[in-house]
Amino acid sequence: MAPPPTSAPKPTPPSYTHDYIVIGGGSGGSSAARRASSWYHSKTVLIENGPSGGCCVNVGCVPKRITFNAALIREMLNHGKNYGYDIPDGISMDFKHFKSLRDKAVERNSKAYDRNWEREGIEVVRGTARFTGREKEVEVVMEDGSGRRLFRARHILIATGGYPVMPSDVLAAKHGITSDGFFDIEVLPRTIAVVGAGYIAVEMAGILNALGVVVHMFIRGKTFLRKFDPMVQDTLTKRYEDIGVIIHKDFAGFEKVERLDTPEMEEGGVSAKHESRGTPPSPSKRLRLKAKNGETFDVDEILWAIGRVPEVKDLDLVSIGVKTTKTGHIAVDEFQNTSVNGIYAIGDVTGQYELTPVAIAAGRKLGNRLFGPPELKSDKLEYANIPTVVFSHPPVGTIGLTEPEAEEKYGKEKLKVYHTKFPAMFYDVFSAEDKVKHPTEFKIICAGPEEKVVGLHILGDGVDEMLQGLGVAMKMGATKKDFDSCVAIHPTSAEEIVTMK
Amino acid sequence: MAPIPKECDYLVIGGGSGGLASGRRASGMYGKKVIAIESKRLGGTCVNVGCVPKKVTWNAAAIAESIHDSKAYGFSVEHTAPFNWSYFKQKRDAYVKRLNGIYEKNLQNDKVEYIHGRASIKSKHEVEVTLDNGDKQLIKATNILIAVGGHPTKPEDKIEGASLGTDSDGFFDIETQPKKVAIIGAGYIAVEFAGMFHALGTETHLFIRHETFLRTFDPMVQEKVVAEYERQGIIIHKNSSQSKVVDLGDGVKQIHYKDSKGEGTLDIDSIIWAIGRSPETEGLGLEKIGIKTDEKGHIIVDKYQNTNVDNVFALGDVVNQGFELTPVAIAAGRRLSDRLFGGKKDAHLEYENIPSVVFAHPEVGSIGLTEPAARKKYGDSIKVYQASFTAMYYAMMEQEDKGPTAYKIVCEGPNERVVGLHILGIGSAEMLQGFGVAIKMGATKADFDKCVAIHPTSAEELVTMK
Repeated sequence: MAPPPTSAPKPTPPSYTHDYIVIGGGSGGSSAARRASSWYHSKTVLIENGPSGGCCVNVGCVPKRITFNAALIREMLNHGKNYGYDIPDGISMDFKHFKSLRDKAVERNSKAYDRNWEREGIEVVRGTARFTGREKEVEVVMEDGSGRRLFRARHILIATGGYPVMPSDVLAAKHGITSDGFFDIEVLPRTIAVVGAGYIAVEMAGILNALGVVVHMFIRGKTFLRKFDPMVQDTLTKRYEDIGVIIHKDFAGFEKVERLDTPEMEEGGVSAKHESRGTPPSPSKRLRLKAKNGETFDVDEILWAIGRVPEVKDLDLVSIGVKTTKTGHIAVDEFQNTSVNGIYAIGDVTGQYELTPVAIAAGRKLGNRLFGPPELKSDKLEYANIPTVVFSHPPVGTIGLTEPEAEEKYGKEKLKVYHTKFPAMFYDVFSAEDKVKHPTEFKIICAGPEEKVVGLHILGDGVDEMLQGLGVAMKMGATKKDFDSCVAIHPTSAEEIVTMK
Repeated sequence: MAPIPKECDYLVIGGGSGGLASGRRASGMYGKKVIAIESKRLGGTCVNVGCVPKKVTWNAAAIAESIHDSKAYGFSVEHTAPFNWSYFKQKRDAYVKRLNGIYEKNLQNDKVEYIHGRASIKSKHEVEVTLDNGDKQLIKATNILIAVGGHPTKPEDKIEGASLGTDSDGFFDIETQPKKVAIIGAGYIAVEFAGMFHALGTETHLFIRHETFLRTFDPMVQEKVVAEYERQGIIIHKNSSQSKVVDLGDGVKQIHYKDSKGEGTLDIDSIIWAIGRSPETEGLGLEKIGIKTDEKGHIIVDKYQNTNVDNVFALGDVVNQGFELTPVAIAAGRRLSDRLFGGKKDAHLEYENIPSVVFAHPEVGSIGLTEPAARKKYGDSIKVYQASFTAMYYAMMEQEDKGPTAYKIVCEGPNERVVGLHILGIGSAEMLQGFGVAIKMGATKADFDKCVAIHPTSAEELVTMK
């Protein structure tokens, strides 16, 4: 799709300051604002109270991937001796230097957002927005201390994202860090406890383990990634143990965290000091974790990756009547409408598929719908068959239904499941015992007589780049026969997907 | 005493990718009596002197690149010894040998009789095999499949001293890493070798006849990969020709050549001719039954793998269909057996939209038409989308160390049906398969765009192109 031919922008009605108010300059908000402004010439104001680009650029996707790449390199260095490279075991990494380069990359990305906004004529306001209770109106407390400003527009978009939480039932949990704090680390801890079983816990545990940190994962069940297909849960949990991650399963929870290196900070069991975001955790940090069952663990750091909550507390949604769900997310329909006419929400704040590309796509479709030509009046994102990748070790790619979900939807008898597991050719020069620790595994779930592919789950080296094309095929309604009709590419791992029996 | 003649339903000449796939299906799935003949090693080119050892070596080279890149990421790897080529070769050879054994076991499991020897066609139903001990084994066959593959072409007749160099087969015999290598050729084999040698630390000279290599690939690929090779430090001699090779003794050879800079000589310890491949039909006896071949000696077949003799079929590198790729031979072989023995009267391989990857540095993936070919076929109704960027992996490197990623989607018609896809950069090898499936399904640009991007990857750029 291309932008429409240039035409004169329509004038904004006098009671409005703008055509479009976008609260939040992350993936969703930015894309929404840019679509409205540059394609449809809507007078747009974007309000952001943090660094441009939001979570993805600053404390999410981008620095995560850069650190993942460092972990991959470390793994390659480990593998080298199998190929005849004489690489010593204890290779040191100047993590502080690495972090400074990563920070620069993040800054470049963040500045690109500013440049794009400026180039596309979007007014950027730095401050914290809230609803005043008056229709179509938003008030911003300005970051620079200059006071408050009022904005009015027919259309208001909430794209404020979310943030990671710490447990409320663990004494002095704040001695630890969340995923935000992960990106403040300058000196790698020697040991770390990672609490959580979602993809963020799994990614960070994998990265830290690859970089030589002793990692203890604490999960409530027997596997992690419990929303993923059982094949992924089982194989990846075992794989993490095979590569040295210590997983404490059926864990009932921690009771308290004590700071050992600076005990004078403790006052009646509650710490007086903890690191704040942006400050690197102290390299001498030492913690004693006490579990509910009495066990204690002494570690250098604890990373809470137990979930994220929507960033709504400053918005005063109640004043304008925007409804939220049980989990506190903003309730939206398939068109991103909230319960209030003229107010919309996209991205992590809605709790749907918390992924940057989803927020971007939803933001653009919304812009098309609100400001675009008549034929796009009903534009919306299809929230089905959305491919995602977890940057674990190795990565996991998934699209569509898990096997249990498919069984529930279609009935077991209507399904045909294809499965294969093998070590990638890369590991063929490893010893037999080592080879089995490096699985590649694929599952294709087909439904109905024509064997339509309704679920695809892939695990192994290279699946992060493998999944996108398969996603295109699945969205086109691919069947097993379609997969098999494409000649295999050899030698790759991907070829196994089109030759499954 | 000469062995007694054998009989079979299906005689497969050639135990490589195509022959074995067809033979195993005929026997294992359809219960036919099948005999397979191989004169060298089971698995043919792919397993022994092609895809497999090539990829293993490419993996070794990838590690060298990681070691090189690791400094930018803050790792201190000052004290690595150079790559131990002979240790690596041993491991690679051992893996190939394991595969030879697996291929033999697979034949047994599918009840295919395997004879080691060199075949010669006597008549349309009779083939004589010269066994290892010199005996002649006569085989009577209802159907014959010629899947003998090819071999690297040597320039011996044209260039004096050419035999001082080796070819792709010989590459896999090299025991010690050369300090300097000259590779002559501009096809994918030459380009892959050049990339690997360079990554492993050998001073690499690539001699090409024109200005670019991979000349059957899209111009974007030619241009960017040539530039990248030069950026990496591979010395490319353009518009070159070689007049002779002289032996200087002590393992050193001297190539006398002309290139765009003028005349010159190069002292080198290893020379690899990668100037093409020829069908392995010498002594096969094609002329005995009048099998038609083209001017290069490839057996002429139709899309059903029929030759001009009604019970004789051919597939794989020996035929004139192009696409000299293992999976093509395998797919053609299986469909042939489906057609001959499985009752699937129309089974055949569509020789169109076949994806392939060149394991250069960077990887190159390609399916469908190049832009020039598309313009020729469809004229003005084509639309081309292109994206060039630096993969996030290079975010930590200085500008001069960053490698390219580039993608081109070639569409035609009002629906923008994708008729060609060309990708180069990190991850392209694993990226292409899924897009191949979509393109074979008739994907349009809109289909590409409908799929939500996966972030952060390189692949996402293919579904968000403007």
